[in-house]
Amino acid sequence: MPVGDYSIFSVMKEALRGHTGWGPAWRDAEPKPAYDIVIIGGGGHGLATAYYLAKEYKAARIAVVEKGWIGGGNVGRNTTIVRSNYMLPGNIPFYELSMKLWEGLEQDINYNAMVSQRGVLNLYHSDGQRDAFARRGNSMRLHGVDCELLDADAVRKMVPFLDFENARFPVHGGLLQRRGGTVRHDAVAWGYARAADRHGVDIIQNCEVTAFRFENDHVVGIETSRGYIGAGKVGISVAGNSSRVAAMAGMKLPIESHVLQAFVTESIKPFIDGVVTFGAGHFYISQSDKGGLVFGGDLDGYNSYAQRGNMPVVEDVCEGGMALMPRIGRVRLLRSWGRHHGYVDGRQPVHRSHPHQGSLFQWRVVLRRLQGDASGGHVFRASDCTR
Amino acid sequence: MAKSTLAAQSAFTDLKTSKHAALTIEVLDDLTMASIASSKGRAEEVKAAIRAAYGVELPTTPERVTGKGIAFIWHGPDQWMAIADRGAGMRDIEVELKPVLAGIAAVVDQSDGRAVVRLSGPRVRDVLAKGVGIDLDPRAFKSNGVAITHASHIGIVLWQVNDAPAYEIAMFRSFADSFATWLTHSAAEFIGH
Amino acid sequence: MRINCPCCGERGIDEFSYYGDATVTRPDLTSPTAMAEFVAYAFERANIPGPHRELWYHAAGCHLWLVVTRNIATHEILSVESARDVALARNANAKGSA
Repeated sequence: MPVGDYSIFSVMKEALRGHTGWGPAWRDAEPKPAYDIVIIGGGGHGLATAYYLAKEYKAARIAVVEKGWIGGGNVGRNTTIVRSNYMLPGNIPFYELSMKLWEGLEQDINYNAMVSQRGVLNLYHSDGQRDAFARRGNSMRLHGVDCELLDADAVRKMVPFLDFENARFPVHGGLLQRRGGTVRHDAVAWGYARAADRHGVDIIQNCEVTAFRFENDHVVGIETSRGYIGAGKVGISVAGNSSRVAAMAGMKLPIESHVLQAFVTESIKPFIDGVVTFGAGHFYISQSDKGGLVFGGDLDGYNSYAQRGNMPVVEDVCEGGMALMPRIGRVRLLRSWGRHHGYVDGRQPVHRSHPHQGSLFQWRVVLRRLQGDASGGHVFRASDCTR
Repeated sequence: MAKSTLAAQSAFTDLKTSKHAALTIEVLDDLTMASIASSKGRAEEVKAAIRAAYGVELPTTPERVTGKGIAFIWHGPDQWMAIADRGAGMRDIEVELKPVLAGIAAVVDQSDGRAVVRLSGPRVRDVLAKGVGIDLDPRAFKSNGVAITHASHIGIVLWQVNDAPAYEIAMFRSFADSFATWLTHSAAEFIGH
Repeated sequence: MRINCPCCGERGIDEFSYYGDATVTRPDLTSPTAMAEFVAYAFERANIPGPHRELWYHAAGCHLWLVVTRNIATHEILSVESARDVALARNANAKGSA
């Protein structure tokens, strides 16, 4: 049953009838024999790509194939942060496009993704680091992205509970992007899935790709666990599984899969209202609307597909947290988890075409960044699938 | 060379030694130490030279051997640390070893490069367990056993002296105070601050 | 994960540093296709779940370089060899086949 718009009236109506009228947010589509475009991977990037394609090319037949279920991969395993406080010329416009898309996303897709522009504050702990942050802030402003360099007093007003006088890592100030913040990560997947579905995209779950079919160096379809699906163009958006899927097409990528852990504590009263990152170690933290402190740190640093990490990084992350805000030492950890990503030097998304020129077989490697989901999908749509 | 008139200072500026029944902490300040690194392919000659000079067999596994007034600690593949008491005669193990190993190994004085503490008593394993990741249970680690590892992120070489048990721990001198901070916290529940 | 160091015995990975794929070897700089070979050497990786031969350095221990074969899908460690022995064997093989 197709679902109507979510609105105050539909919510009130359903409240009065015990919420019995809601249908599924998207159809559990059966694979058709052929599509114009097939996107492999139903994560944040893949769904966003399908959505922006479908929105722009209304006549195109588009499918997303996902080996598991929507929201079961990395999109459900990140720490929900969105930001565009990068420095290099290639990065800022990309993530700023994402920021702007996030800002209009909920109206665009009629879905509450809980976009919360609560501010991202990167702390600095030395004069040298302040200069580096000033440079980053200047670079952002040159790209038309707002930010503010705060001194210690201004930071103290925002987050008074930090260990400002820490002997090794005193807090001297921070670089603040007020427009940065968090989004509900799995709502991003659900929202894009629902919106894509409403534009006619088939979202095919539990459908694992096993091979590509080529004719004259042009991709013509994919073999899957649910049978053959013909495709005019194929996009790959499978994060840490990029090398595996690309290998099926005979490509070797400049990618390694790594594990990045994240953590959430028991729920406590409102404590941190924005995102705060430690500048002297690798530690970043925010508080979910349910009250859990969500935090993470460094990569484990070795190749992994295991979706779980090891103790030394757990220790390192907790030490970073204790150096920054000792009071969190009394909070109990509820869960920790790992997600695996494709990594390249520079750790940014990679767009690449198949070496057979003109075949329009495309892939896109998707990395850890939730904040790139929107622009990743947008750019993938624009740069690759429509060529 | 004229002897320096500067007074020797302990690497540990703030470590309170302990004679507590549960844990004894001693700083070994009067040691002479030298590292021995065999030249490529000369390890057998190094072992023969030490055998001839001191009557001991250099270990090829993480162990310590003791001779008369000297100990050799395994320090990695084809590497060892020689340790002895400096004493009133100002013994200098580097000066002593250089002619013995001339041409077959690099011998470098470490006396002021490393700081060494001795920990002993019935709670020593409980204290070490809070910062050292290896298994020191007597079934797994015995007297004269050696481990190169870390204690609370500080690189150490650790060896067991006897079954009391007593351990000696060597670290780079500049880490001595950080190590002492960790040790003081770790031992507090047994001996107080 | 714990790695059984040939010198020190089994230790936690907190004592080791990871140095990546152990199967790639530095190309010949004078080769006419050196650029492509160096790109492959520096960046391109199979990166497939299953056994992976990789370099680890016992940084907080005996300082030995190791070639560890590890299943990157499960983190199970399948074998540990001295990287020196592996390199010597590879050089001997290269000479033997030349």
